[in-house]
Amino acid sequence: MDAASEVEQENGFAGKRGAAKIQERLQKRHQARTDDSDRRKETKENHSVAEEKLEYFSSTFNTERASIEQLLSSCSGAERGVVSQRLEEATAKTAQLKKFLNDSVLFLTQYELRQAQAALQKLQTSLAETREEALPKKKFAFRARSKAADKVASSASDSPDGATAAGTVKVDGAAASEQCGFSNIDSEFLTKTSEEIQNRDVLLTHLTNCKVRLFGSPSTLHLKHIDSCEILCGPVSRSVFVDHCRNSTLAFPCQQLRTHNTTDTQVYLHVTSRAIIEDCHGVSFAPFSWSYPNLEEDFNVSGLDRGRNNWSQVDDFNWLAAGTPSPNWSVITEITFCGNALKASMTI
Amino acid sequence: MGLLTILKKMKQKEREMRLLMLGLDNAGKTTILKKFNGEDVSTISPTLGFNIKTLEHKGFKLNIWDVGGQKSLRSYWRNYFESTDGLVWVVDSADRLRLEDCRKELSALLLEERLAGATLLVFANKQDLPGALSKEAIREALVLDEIKSHHWCIIGCSAVSGENLLAGVDWLLDDIAARIFTAD
Repeated sequence: MDAASEVEQENGFAGKRGAAKIQERLQKRHQARTDDSDRRKETKENHSVAEEKLEYFSSTFNTERASIEQLLSSCSGAERGVVSQRLEEATAKTAQLKKFLNDSVLFLTQYELRQAQAALQKLQTSLAETREEALPKKKFAFRARSKAADKVASSASDSPDGATAAGTVKVDGAAASEQCGFSNIDSEFLTKTSEEIQNRDVLLTHLTNCKVRLFGSPSTLHLKHIDSCEILCGPVSRSVFVDHCRNSTLAFPCQQLRTHNTTDTQVYLHVTSRAIIEDCHGVSFAPFSWSYPNLEEDFNVSGLDRGRNNWSQVDDFNWLAAGTPSPNWSVITEITFCGNALKASMTI
Repeated sequence: MGLLTILKKMKQKEREMRLLMLGLDNAGKTTILKKFNGEDVSTISPTLGFNIKTLEHKGFKLNIWDVGGQKSLRSYWRNYFESTDGLVWVVDSADRLRLEDCRKELSALLLEERLAGATLLVFANKQDLPGALSKEAIREALVLDEIKSHHWCIIGCSAVSGENLLAGVDWLLDDIAARIFTAD
């Protein structure tokens, strides 16, 4: 319809104003046509760039995958120490590969994305299987210390805490085995290794008087109902969520920190975006100062920026007055003292 | 140009939708919004107020409102209800301990008169975490099958990888469009 009306108009012009006008219009049209073809050419070029990226992605992805598979297959029959080292390497590589896939999502088609995700899933499963086969899981290493505590812990794990689980019992039962972490433990020294928590969501609940060391880089960390504990954790690649924690010391690097209903707690923090508090009192912050042999590596796995730490910029959702600092949190001034204390306690 | 053409053009201009994104804090609302818009998700801070994004998708202009989910912000959610076409409810599928909270907040929202006409999309987010509950488990925990007042759909997704975000938003747009733009 548009074309027809244009022709009509053109005829009208031709009749009235003569050849010069036609010439001009023709030129205009020619211009439009060349512009159009240029544009088409450009999109075509863009497309070819995308394909190049795609090729690069699939070749890199496949090489990495092959190398991890090789690592895994070389595990069978090897010595224990060698196996654990290889597994460690494979885990780190898988994490990197996952990151690479996530970064590449933008230019992948739905099909390729799904293919890659399936391959990754397969890789993770075979990684877990190899680990299970070569290094069967040990029970808690520090259990033997006190028999009383042992009893508490085992009876508690038999019957999940009624108060918190009430609303979600149905769901809890189904997937409890997949949850990684500690719960309902009193006065113990608890650790998790890098293989146990790498890229997992870790949950610590109902801990009293415990010292917890998480060596490695989990995806997220949830702390709930923590009393008089000292919890140190390696770099958390995403968010940390703290709820109902009192009289404790926490230390971790993370991307985001949300702290709720917490009192009298020190947080030794490396946060690359922001930390917030809500319904908290007496929470104090200092820069993250804990260290362990593989910290550097775990920082790399987590992808956190070491150079960006906003530990002192805490937003309080209960304190909206601009200009006046919130009375609910403070900065720890004796950094060196506490840092040393923290390091000293680590050597236990 | 006749009157009909003018009317059609106006109608086209109105192909605009308002989506409201809510959920508990730490669910991943802002990450979903930014990922969907192709932005960097590694620098996102907990949301202090709200974010608005206007973007074009499938010929629609989407105004997406992402409101912070902290407890102290939830009482302000109601300020954003007016003329909402679609409600996106985001759930942290790995946060088992707050699922009950999550269910309560959602069921309270569905009683709101001003949201009565809105389509509900539930994103069971963080499916990439090994401890995440499946979308079926979330559906059960939030008792979604009891919802008769709204069109609804639950989709498992990962804001970090971007998986299924498009599928969710596409479903939402189709449902809203079928309701609003039936005249076309």
